[in-house]
Amino acid sequence: MQPPAGVRGSLQLRHVDAGSCNGCEIEIASAFGPVYDAERYGARLVASPRHADALLVTGVVTRNMEQPLRNTRDAVPEPRLVIAVGDCARNCGVFARGYGVAGSVRDVIGTDVEVPGCPPSPDQIVAALRSVTGR
Amino acid sequence: MIPGSSQPSGTTATQSLPKPTSDAAVADRGAAAIVSGALTTAVGAAGIAVGIAALGGSTAVGHVDWLFPLVGVDWRLTGLGGFFALLTGAVALAAGCYTVGYARAERIGRFPLAMLPLFAAALVAVPLAGSVPTFLLAWELMAATSTVLVLADHRRAAVRVAGLQYAVLTHLSYAAILVGLLLLAAVAKTADLGALTGAAASLPAGTRTVVFLACLIGFGTKAGLVPLHAWLPRAHPEAPSPVSALMSAAMVAMGCYGVLLVAVGILGPGPRWWGLLVLLVGIGSAVFGVLHASVTSDLKRLLAYSTTENMGLVMIAVGAAMVLAGSDRPDIAAIAITAALIHLCTHAAFKTLAFLAAGSVLVATGLRDLDRLGGLARPMPATTIGFGIAGLGAAGLPVGAGFVSEWLLLQSLIHYPRGADTVMALVIPLAMGAVALAIGLGVMTMVKAFGVGFLARARSPEAMRAREAPPTMLAGMGIAALACLILGLAPGLLNPAVRAAAADLPFAAVPIGAAMLRLPEGLGSIAPGLLALALVVAIALATVLVRRPTQSRPVERALWACGADTLSPRMQYTATSYAQPLQRVFDPILQPETELRVGTAPQSRYVIQQASYRSRAQDAIERRMYLPVVQGVRTLSSWVRRAHTGSVQLYLAMGGAGLLATLLITR
Repeated sequence: MQPPAGVRGSLQLRHVDAGSCNGCEIEIASAFGPVYDAERYGARLVASPRHADALLVTGVVTRNMEQPLRNTRDAVPEPRLVIAVGDCARNCGVFARGYGVAGSVRDVIGTDVEVPGCPPSPDQIVAALRSVTGR
Repeated sequence: MIPGSSQPSGTTATQSLPKPTSDAAVADRGAAAIVSGALTTAVGAAGIAVGIAALGGSTAVGHVDWLFPLVGVDWRLTGLGGFFALLTGAVALAAGCYTVGYARAERIGRFPLAMLPLFAAALVAVPLAGSVPTFLLAWELMAATSTVLVLADHRRAAVRVAGLQYAVLTHLSYAAILVGLLLLAAVAKTADLGALTGAAASLPAGTRTVVFLACLIGFGTKAGLVPLHAWLPRAHPEAPSPVSALMSAAMVAMGCYGVLLVAVGILGPGPRWWGLLVLLVGIGSAVFGVLHASVTSDLKRLLAYSTTENMGLVMIAVGAAMVLAGSDRPDIAAIAITAALIHLCTHAAFKTLAFLAAGSVLVATGLRDLDRLGGLARPMPATTIGFGIAGLGAAGLPVGAGFVSEWLLLQSLIHYPRGADTVMALVIPLAMGAVALAIGLGVMTMVKAFGVGFLARARSPEAMRAREAPPTMLAGMGIAALACLILGLAPGLLNPAVRAAAADLPFAAVPIGAAMLRLPEGLGSIAPGLLALALVVAIALATVLVRRPTQSRPVERALWACGADTLSPRMQYTATSYAQPLQRVFDPILQPETELRVGTAPQSRYVIQQASYRSRAQDAIERRMYLPVVQGVRTLSSWVRRAHTGSVQLYLAMGGAGLLATLLITR
């Protein structure tokens, strides 16, 4: 897969916590930390969806976050990608059928890349990002 | 002021009518507004004409015997007086035009409307007075009429408090001036202001000092200088807006006129500490005024505190010039006095415009609170542009009206002679810092007033329903805006006026070229007109370059609201939030009163259901200095009250005892 911006080795990511338990956040932090250092493959976290090529979504989508997630997806310039990190984002994981759950990321805004695991290891996250950055 | 809440304050019969807004009453009030506005404008035009005649070199004097019993009325034309007559006349011209529309919209009563031309006439008369009794007469007329005008909307409690405070302070200041000038006239054995100038030099030093202090207290109160400023931020906001403009632009300038006339002109070069005292008062006023202006969220109160700040800047310049009077550096004193005179002019122009624009906002929305305004740029474009011009002037940025005078003031302080004088070596850098701080915070204040008050989206339904002001009000603002632009772009036009005014003081004035302003001996130069031209060219170039046709068309998307669906006006910066960091930094000086109330859910104190935050910057000087005095007077009068039992016999006995004592003493 090519990075959405069309430049190899350049992927700007906006992270959205749609209702995560923070397990995936810790692993993402590790993936961008000094040990795994995902930035050397061209992936970079940015502070606004306006600056991003792709969304990095974690957690099950809660009812409160359903519309904000859609708004955030719409705020990312096209072409764009959605990368779902963790089992919750893929198929609601252990929170499936919870009273506050609107659905998985796949159900709400659709996904292009999925990283399985509860939580996925930094290795897996970096591998998924490399599949997009092409480096 | 909510439209409909203020009723005409004509006769008691009108007040007792159930519906005061009958057609006849409205038409009547319309006529009264037109007559009052026209008369004020005429007084303004006359003031301008007399001022120009005086500045042109006319030194006519006159005496009108029948106008006032025993002493008559003396008038004389001088350069300094002409300068201030011109200034007040111009303000009255703009305010008079504006009054026609404003008085009708705000339903100002017939009595205050009748006082307005009289107030304008008193303002013009003060600088034309030729003798001490005439000066005091015009001054008292100015004070009395302005008190009536402050109380125009006397049905509101805030107005009554402001009016009372104003009446007390203005008459205390009058008493100080009275003591000073009468002592001066009695010791010098002449009441003629022209003759006093020569006679004052031979007076004993003690008398001169007493006169100087009394006059500084009296005129300083009128100029709104710290610590006698407390009436100003109360009275100016509560007065009708054209009156606020007259008071804030012209009447405070009369305070400066008094200082220049008596302390600088008549008493001549005094001991160094006179100038030093004026300088320090100026520093305190500039910093204190701008700090309060930057944290207040009431539009007219903000402008009133800005007046204290600007008068402080003028006093810094006057003080610096006074210290240098008679020294071997007349050139620096000339720069300082030029800065003071030009700043008085530019301040009058931009403050008139700002108060008139604030009055338009008040008419359109009924609001003075910046936190509830906003979004006025579209419904009120002319008023917004007017306030923008005024704000640019008040901020002291290039192209704005206040820039040249503040630049001159800083130049005079930077090039201040570095002698062996230790005190001045300490005070001048302090003054420079105060001026820099005042200008910096002034920019922030005006950004807040303009940005929060006029731009972005409306914060309240009242602001949403705003409509542009009627044409007469726009005309008044137009006159003031034109003056602001002319003063900002071509301050050289003031050259003859400043030279003639400074000729009456022991100073020269720095000539200001039409295009280029050069200080003597190559100390510095600046070209405000060329700066403006460069700015216009740069903006035009940038516009042309950005508008270049490109292949890709921009895509329009909804504004990013951090995931929320829409942005609400409540998400905007408010005046309070904008000033919050500053309020925190200057907490010891401002001593704000803050209150945070949190309402928690009955189930858990961790669930917050509602929260309210209130913050009010109190005037620390008012609380620390005025309240103890008021308390002391109260205690004293409670003692006196013990003698007032209501018994007629006791009163008769006291009267008899008093008479007996008088007879014994005067035997």
